[in-house]
This record gives sequence, structure tokens and C-alpha cells, in this order.
Amino acid sequence: MLAANSEKVKDSSMLGDIQYGETRVIGKRTPRVDSIEKLTGEATYVGDMTIPGMLFAQVKKSPHARARILGIDTRKATALPGVRAILTGDELDYRVGLYMVDKYVLAKGEVRHYGEAVAAVAADTTAIARHAVELIHVKYEKLPPVLHPLDAIREDAPLVHPQMGNYDYMDTAFSPIPGSNICNHTKLRKGDVEAAFKESEWILEREYTNPSVQHVPIETHVAIVTWKHNDQVTIWSSAQSPFTLRNLFCMAFKLSHNKVRVIVPNVGGGFGGKAGIHIEPLVACLSRKAGGCPVKFTATREEEFSLLPCRSALTYRVKTGVSSDGKIIGQKMTMYWDSGAYADYAVNVTRASGYSAGGPYEIPNAWVDAYTIYTNKPFGTAYRGFGHVEFFWGIERHMDLVANAIGMDSLEFRKKNALRPGSVTLTGEKIEKHTGNVIACLIAAEKAVSYGKLKAGEKKREQKSGMKIGKSVVALHKAPAMPPCTATGVILKMNEDATVTANFSLTEIGQGTYTALAQIIAEGLRFPLHRIKISQETDTDRDPYDWQTVASKGLLLTGNAALLAAQDLLRKAYEVAAQILRAQHVDLDHDADKVFIRHNPDVSVTFREMAVGYAFPDGRSIGGPLIGTGSYIAQGLTHLNKETGQGLPALDWTYGAHGVIVEVNEHTGEYNILKVASVFDVGKVINPDAVRGQAIGGMLQGLGTAICEGYMYDQEGHLLNPSFTDNKIPTARDLPLEVESIVIETPQLDGPYGARGVGEHSMIAVAAALGNAIQQACGAELTHMPIRFEDVWRALEKKESIDNWITKSPYGSCKSEPEIRKNRPAQ
Amino acid sequence: MIHDFRYIRPKSLEEVHDLLSNISEQGCVFSGGTDLFVDIRAGLSTPDFVVDLKAIESLHQFSFDKQEGLIIGACVTVNELIRHAAVQKHYSILATAGRELATHQIRNRATVVGNVVTASPCGDMASPLLCLDAEVVVLSSKGSRNILLSDFITGVKSTRLRPDEIVEKILVPGRMIDAIGGYKKLKRIRGHDLGVVSVALLKGKDTLRFAISSAAPTPVLLTDFPPSTSVRDIQAAAQRAISPIDDVRCSKEYRAFMVSAFIERLMNEAG
Amino acid sequence: MMVRITVRVNGKEYTREVVESKTLLHFLREDLGLTGTKEGCGAGECGACTVILEGHAVNSCLILAVEADGSTIETIEGEVKNGRLSRLQEAFHNHHAVQCGFCTPGMIMTIKDLLRRKPKPSRDEIIDGIEGNFCRCTGYEQIIEAVLDASGQLGESEGLKYAR
Repeated sequence: MLAANSEKVKDSSMLGDIQYGETRVIGKRTPRVDSIEKLTGEATYVGDMTIPGMLFAQVKKSPHARARILGIDTRKATALPGVRAILTGDELDYRVGLYMVDKYVLAKGEVRHYGEAVAAVAADTTAIARHAVELIHVKYEKLPPVLHPLDAIREDAPLVHPQMGNYDYMDTAFSPIPGSNICNHTKLRKGDVEAAFKESEWILEREYTNPSVQHVPIETHVAIVTWKHNDQVTIWSSAQSPFTLRNLFCMAFKLSHNKVRVIVPNVGGGFGGKAGIHIEPLVACLSRKAGGCPVKFTATREEEFSLLPCRSALTYRVKTGVSSDGKIIGQKMTMYWDSGAYADYAVNVTRASGYSAGGPYEIPNAWVDAYTIYTNKPFGTAYRGFGHVEFFWGIERHMDLVANAIGMDSLEFRKKNALRPGSVTLTGEKIEKHTGNVIACLIAAEKAVSYGKLKAGEKKREQKSGMKIGKSVVALHKAPAMPPCTATGVILKMNEDATVTANFSLTEIGQGTYTALAQIIAEGLRFPLHRIKISQETDTDRDPYDWQTVASKGLLLTGNAALLAAQDLLRKAYEVAAQILRAQHVDLDHDADKVFIRHNPDVSVTFREMAVGYAFPDGRSIGGPLIGTGSYIAQGLTHLNKETGQGLPALDWTYGAHGVIVEVNEHTGEYNILKVASVFDVGKVINPDAVRGQAIGGMLQGLGTAICEGYMYDQEGHLLNPSFTDNKIPTARDLPLEVESIVIETPQLDGPYGARGVGEHSMIAVAAALGNAIQQACGAELTHMPIRFEDVWRALEKKESIDNWITKSPYGSCKSEPEIRKNRPAQ
Repeated sequence: MIHDFRYIRPKSLEEVHDLLSNISEQGCVFSGGTDLFVDIRAGLSTPDFVVDLKAIESLHQFSFDKQEGLIIGACVTVNELIRHAAVQKHYSILATAGRELATHQIRNRATVVGNVVTASPCGDMASPLLCLDAEVVVLSSKGSRNILLSDFITGVKSTRLRPDEIVEKILVPGRMIDAIGGYKKLKRIRGHDLGVVSVALLKGKDTLRFAISSAAPTPVLLTDFPPSTSVRDIQAAAQRAISPIDDVRCSKEYRAFMVSAFIERLMNEAG
Repeated sequence: MMVRITVRVNGKEYTREVVESKTLLHFLREDLGLTGTKEGCGAGECGACTVILEGHAVNSCLILAVEADGSTIETIEGEVKNGRLSRLQEAFHNHHAVQCGFCTPGMIMTIKDLLRRKPKPSRDEIIDGIEGNFCRCTGYEQIIEAVLDASGQLGESEGLKYAR
């Protein structure tokens, strides 16, 4: 359903005059280009691959959260028949890291989290490798771990990385504090927040928390690597970012890029967990030690939960000053990101959250301190939403609490404070009409759940069930978290029969971008969709560069590159055609099959005739294979000032809103979600079913975070729920009774046909919406996640809440009481 | 599988007895395998032999007689139980509880007897069977003996079964036939989950029974309340009988609370 | 110890020597090269390994290959017949019920079994039927719509389907 606010705008891409009321393929319902292979079981994933001579790897993992490695005895394992290579940290002096180079390939001297890899084996079979791992004996000296981020920033906290001061890191974006556990401090200072508090009628401060969760792609991490003589390395990996993987690999091992090849066939889900570099360096080292034999490692589900990274936990403190008429005047936001044992993406999550921290609201005076904190736990990597799921729990709960405290309806409060054309963001960016329309999203969500009243059917339901119904509407926003110089390329090759094959390195991880790109290319070329083939496998030797498949930026950046490539292909075809037809470029036009003279259309030459070179009747030839290339780099973005946080980080802003209806049993805390409506301003829908699939899929993943997901540790840092037994994810039965997906189209002027990304946004604010609706229904005020029935009951009974992510923690982060003061503004 | 083992598929009960006399310490019998293979993979069980009972026809016995009641052989799966017309009609509590056990795919393999023998405190089948006065028939080379289910399960994952014995079948007597049954299971999601705490109710003509799982080392049976007993009294009796714990799934407080809540709900639904 | 077993998979007979402790899942994937069936957890929770064994949908990760000796098995590879997608596969394709595709083979087999037992399942019955198959990508809604369509229960006018 298209909400009424869309506009027809000319020039929807920076390329030319495109009236997208006239599109043939854009916006139409078309099936996915990759689903048939997946439906027949023919699609290849790395786990399905076998290479002659392949060995199988297994990993010895630490049972401790923090310990010194006193010695590793591999003699018995080495003697086992069928074992071809064993590695320990002593032999590998390589460190890896996206932004902070802090992680050895195997733990060296010290283990920093439960589940960390300490040794690895490659053997003829998985069973032999496993047996060998059991025979490896590691002597540890256990050390007291630091587990809670607030403990980790105390003066006397043990240092997870005492050598942090010596690490390489990306200094344009990050500010570590050596001699502490803070590997990044992102600051933002806008206006004068203390003065704003003095002017405020109300000041409200509260703390919100959520635990780490796992991505749970149904396909676990898997890689096959061959490290041949002369350092020719080939990596097959279930990975989201082949070029970043190659880049980090080469940096770690000091190899030139043209020696390393990364190939990604199909990926069984990523959600950010496969965005960087993970098991590939270790597998590569095993191959090298085994004389270049291919080595395959497939993570078990349990390893996926602890050896592989998760999503950082967050403690978020928000202090808001509000005027007497309900306008936010100032806001102080402090984020404590629990990065776990390594910085990985967590430092960037901190940065990206820092500049987005206040939500889609106008905050004239703002102060943000966002800390990335090391602790001795499995570490946080990119996760769909890149920090936004975590902090929107805080912000959107906070908006409701603020509104309730000042006696204003929470939706009215949001509309009053929402960003609109002329508003300025936290980083000083001015919102324009075409940035997007969060208020339209709020209004659509409001309508979808009939916010503010109970319909007759709902009243009847309440009477019958005895449960109380509550409704909420929340807003959200996100911009792609990426460097200002993020770039991508697309190559379009015309085949002899005038079909086109597209090569690019954006990966298809399920999000549907391949289909959208096929539609964009088909539209750009004016070819029918079935003549466009998107090359499924990504290969860094063959495909042009793409930064990473993250951040919901693929559609915009790669879509634009694809349009440029299409233009380039056509230009080259026209050049050849002009000679053949003895015409000027300006007089030429084309359709799906041929280039012709516009005012004399019978004079034409087919694409087939030109596709790989044109031969005149006498044999003389011109042209050559028609290949179009397009490169696109993010435009107009800047670094953020490290002191003030000011700058232009946002490629685009995708706004959205959710409406949620929940019914709660006030006696037991049990609840049912009756409806979730999700609204996103996507600029332009390229593929309606794909947008809907992202909206609903992300919504349910967001509900998983809200309802049942979360890592639990004991006081020694052991992960207590490292499998599906106690780490649950939503099943089909966990769908709300009703789901609705709505789009708004405020065109992105520099997006392909006006489109902007929406891959992450569907998950961002669902948890907060649920928490708000539950509170609206029964008064239970929850500030920590997940929201189990027991947590609702505890809140209703005014019982002490349970910090269910570090059992029996002395920390009261989820026990925080709100501080609500009515202020006398300075006279 | 992590652990290597031999697989034996006996064709008769005599063969089983022979095997168990020789290898009982290093062997495990199984039918569905849905608990055993999870345990083997997790390294919690390391048998040298696994003995598959499915080729023994008599263990697939599944019959109903109004006088004798229900006979559920060792190899009868949970889905077979749920689908059986007599179960749906006369022992609805078994079907209700059975539908809560894991997933459809698991129920196509997991057996009722297996679930009982595993004796997990959160098992779904034990509590309704307890309400129904079920007995297990234990078989060995020395003969067979009947043990009341309430005596059979002795602790967390432990039963009176000796290493050389198997459970041949479960007998569900006819005396509680057509009783009204109910089963409430607290889970962390609406989808498949272990029972965080669960309560089974059986309401006969002149008796009320409850059985509670995941609130003590073994399922707790509460019998026999006159039908006029108040909800409050039953709740009080339940609270005295259970000993829930705190764990990663739930606090003992909430477990205890939900036992009472489920008792009330079941009583209201049973009318 | 290696044991010889014979299985009938998608109508074709295979005889192989197999290690006794090997699961049916690994046997199908490694010994028969039928890699369509996937491993998601190895512990019977996620359903990615679902196949139909003797007419019943089961988690092949919790069954030994030797247990299946003499059995008839259906996997995703048998769903296409004479080069044509099945009605269920077509419906999945049309309704965008596939995203990353990793849960898809197991999901299809579970639903195939469901439709044999219940040719016109209600929405609730579909949901109950696929409860044992995790999908992290789609949120299940488009899968449910595909099943309604494949079982002839979705009208022509159904555009983008919303509420129940």
C-alpha cells in the first residue's frame, strides 16, 4: 500500500531525466532472480563444496573467559594418523582488525573470552580432527574476568588489552584511550546542553539496557582456503564482503592484493555476522602448514554462538530537557557499548550510533559520549541495524517515558519533535524535503493500528479474554554506517545474443538486492528483465570492487553504478552504431533489440550484430565486445570532527515507524502481539515483494531480540546458553496475529529511480514499540531486554527486575529508577 | 557424530536381552534417538554400542481396549499417539500434551516410552501419564515386572531401570478413561520449547489430579482431590509439593507463581 | 566399522558402505552428493535437515544412515519432476518465500509432508506444520502465503497479502 504522500519527481537519479511514472520494470512485482536454484537444492553454498585433497579443520576453544596460556601440548594430537597440520598461537604472529588491529589469529599468551580459539587442527576427516582437538592439552592460569562494561571502565579494572596503545587503528574515525578498556570514545557536541537543561521545564533521565544476541544465520560460518606456494591464496567463504575480506587478509599477512582471491557462492544468511573477516585467516594458516592442501572449516551451531562474534550489548543513559510546551531542548546521551574481547566492528557501531543517537527528532542542544568497552566475553561485530536496534530500545522507550511524565500523548510528542525539512540533525546536517518523511511514516502507522482508541472488535476481545490491550507508535531512522569514500563498481557485458551479464561484488545474502539490481539494469537499458543475468557468485579476480554488503547502501550505490554502467554500455553501442548507420549520436535511439535512427527507424542495427564486434559485409570489422562499466562513490560525505561530532556522515536517511498492538495478562505478565504495522520511506519501491520480505523478516528478527534472545553468562564469564536449547529464535508460531507492511515514497534525489535502502530498518524499533505497547496496556515499565513474561510480571508486581544477561550481577543497570525533575527555568 | 560407536539392530527380544547382558555398561538402547543422538553429539553420552529396537515388531504394539486401557509399545512415536482415534477420544490429555512436545519432525521419531525413560524434569509425557496411573512394563532376560510410573522416575534423568532392562511398553489403565484433561506449558516463545514449567490436569467423575513438571527433580503428582476442592486449596497443595529452582530459563518465584496460575486456568477450562 | 546399506532416494536406489555412526544427513550430502539438504544445528532444532523418510518428515541429523537401510527417502532434489518445478516450488517462487535459501529445502519437505496429510491447511495449520523449521530471513509470512497458494486457497485477487 502506497501512502498518499508520494510525489512524482523528475531527475530521480543524478544521471538524467527519468520520469518514473513510466517505468516498465521498476516497481513491478517480479519474482527473485535467485530463488529457483535455491528451491531445487541446486544452489551451492560453501558447505556443499568439495575440493580434491580437502582436509577438515576443527578448533580447540577456551573454556575460560580470561586466562594466561601457560603451555599447549600437541604431541599426542600430532601423532594421530590422519592429522596433517596443527597450529597454536605461538606460531602465528598476525593480528587482524577492521578498525583496531587487536586480534591474533589464534589466542597468543592469553585468552580473552569463553570460546576463543586456542589451537586448530586440519585432518583427513572431521572425526579425526575432532579427536585430535580432544588430545591437545592446554594449561591455563585462570584470571578474574571483567564482564560488565561499567566494571570495565573503573580505575582498577583489569585490562583486556594492556597493549592497546601499540595497536594500529583508523585514526580518522576512532579515538581509543590507551591504558583503559575503552577502545573508542565517540563524542558529539552540538550547541550548549547544560544551558538547555537550565532552560528546561522538565528533565528526565533513565538508563536502558540490552544484552548481546546472535545473528543466527541458518548457515553457520564456513570457509575453504588453499594457500599454495608463491602465496597464491584462494578463499571460498560464506561472507558478505569479499573485497574487505581480501583487504584485511592481505594487510594481516602482508600479501599483495593480486595474490589473494576471494570467492563467495551463495550465502545462507549474514545479518552482519559475516560482514568482516572471521575464520578465514586461521583456515588459511592451516592450509599453508598442510602444504597448500585445501582446508575446510564449518562452524557448529555452538561455535556460531561463542567462537564467532555476536552483537554488542548496550547500556544507554539518556537525559532529556523538555520545554513547557513539549519540545526537546537538550539531550545528553551516554552509551556504554560492551564490545567483548575485541573491537571488530564495535568501534564503528559506537560511532554510527553516536551520530544517530537521538533518533529522528530535532535536538537543538546535544551531548553524546559513546564508549566502546572491552570485556572478557565473545565480541560484538556488525549486526543488522548496526547499533540502532540496541539504542532505539532506549530512545523510543525514553520518548514514551518523557511524554508520559510531562502529560503529553506519546505520538503527539513524537510528531511535535520529529525531524522535518529545515531541521538540523545531531551532526549539523540540514534535512530537506527529499530527505524523507518521518511524520508521514508516523501517521501511516497511527492509522494502521487505530492508535489512541480501541475498535469495537478490540473492546470485545478485551472483555472476552480479560487481557488488556495496549497500542504504541514509534519512529526510527538510520543512515548507512560507512566511510565517506565508500565506493562500488559494476560491469555489464553484452553476450552474443544480446543478453547481458552483470558482474559486481555486492553479495546476495537473502536481502533481494540482486533482483532489484536486475530490474534497475533492465530499466536502464530498456531490455526485458529476462535478458539480464546477475552473476551469482562473487569473485574478486573477476568482479569489480564493492566495499561491503552492509549498511543498507547496496541498492543506492550499486544501483547508481549499475545505471552508469548501463549508460556506458549504450554509449559504446551507439558509437559503433553511429558508424554503421552513418548517423550522429544525437539522432540515435534504441529499443530492446536494436539501435535505430530516431527519425528513420527502419535504419537500424541489432545489438546482436554489435555485441562482440561488428563485421561489415566485406569482412572489415569495427567495435569489439560491448562492455559497460560504472563506478560510483558516495557523494558529499565528510568525516566527523572528533571533538564535536559535526559533519556529513549520511548517504541517505531511511525513516520509518511501527505501530504495535499487544494484549497483556495483568495477572501473569503473559502477552500476545496482535499486530505489527511497519512503515518505511524507501524513496521508490523497486520490487514490492522484496521490500515486504525485508519488512516482515526484519520485524520478526526484531521481535526475537525483544522477546527471547540474549546471551547469558555466569559470574566467571561462561556462556550459559550456547545453543538453540536456551538461545531461542522466533518460529512461525511467533508471528503476530497480523502483520502489515506499508511504504512511503519520498524520492531520494540521488538514488536509482529515487530508491534508498531498507535492509536493516525493519528491525530497529520493534522492541521499543513492544515495550511501549505493553506499558500502555498494563503499566509495566521495562527498561531492559528481552521482555519475557516473567519480566512483565516482575514489573507489574513491583518486584526487583532480574539482570538476565549476567546472572546474579551486582550491577543494577536494569534496576535504574527514572529521575524526573520539574525544573524552574532560569529567570 | 563426534563419537564413534557400533550399531546393532536386534530382531527379537531374546537378542536384546543377550546384548544387554553382555554390553549393557557400554551400550544404549534406543528407538527414536532424538534425545540419545543429541546427547552423543554434545559429548554427554559416549556409548560404544547403540541398540536399535525398531526391528522388534512386538515393541510397536499400540492398542486400546475399554477394559484394559491403552498399551503403548516402546517404539510408538508421539505423533502416532496423537493421531490415534482412541487417544483423542478417551485420553485427550495425552494428545494435548503430546502436541506440545518439540516439533512435528521430532514427534515422528521420538517415542512416548523414550520420553519417559529419559526422565527429564521438563518432559511432556510423564505428567499426563502420571495422572492416568500409568505403569511401565520392564523387561529383561529374567522376566518382566510392572512399575507404577510414579515409582519409576526417581530423579533428574534417572529411573529404576537397570542396565540390562528395557521398557517394553506403558500401560494406561481404563479406569480414568474419558476424564477431562488439560495441559498448560510455559515456554519462552510460542514456538517449540522445553517446558519452563507445566501443569497437567485430569478431571474424572469423582477425582481431580494434577501433575507438575519442571518444578522439581521429578514430575510431581497431586492426587486425589475431590472435585469440589477449591482452586486455592489445590494451589496450596501444589506449592507445598514443588521445589522449583532458579536457572537460565526462569526464576523459581515465577515458576511457582505460574504453577498456581495454570492450576486456576485448567480448573476454569475444565468447568 | 563400515556397513553396507541400500536406500531408495527420490526413486533411485543407492548401495553404499557407510560408517555406523554417520547421520543420514551427512550420508545424503557426502556419500550420495545430494547437498540440497542442509545442516543448520545438528541437534533437531532448526529443521534445515528435514527429509521425508518412509512418508514422514524427520530431522535427518538425528537419524543414522544405517537406521535408514532399506528405506524410501525423499529429498529436495526429487521435487522437480520432468524438468518442472512442483506447484509448491512455483508458489514459493512467486510469493518471494525464498531469501537466502538455506532453510528452503527443509521447509519444502516439511510442507510437502503437511500437504499430503492436510491438502487444504488453514493458516494456523500451516503455522503449526512449519513450527519446526527456522527461517531467519522471511519472517514466515510469504511462506505461509505460498502454501495457501499451492493448496489452491489464495484467490486471484490476492495482491500483496496483509492481515489474517
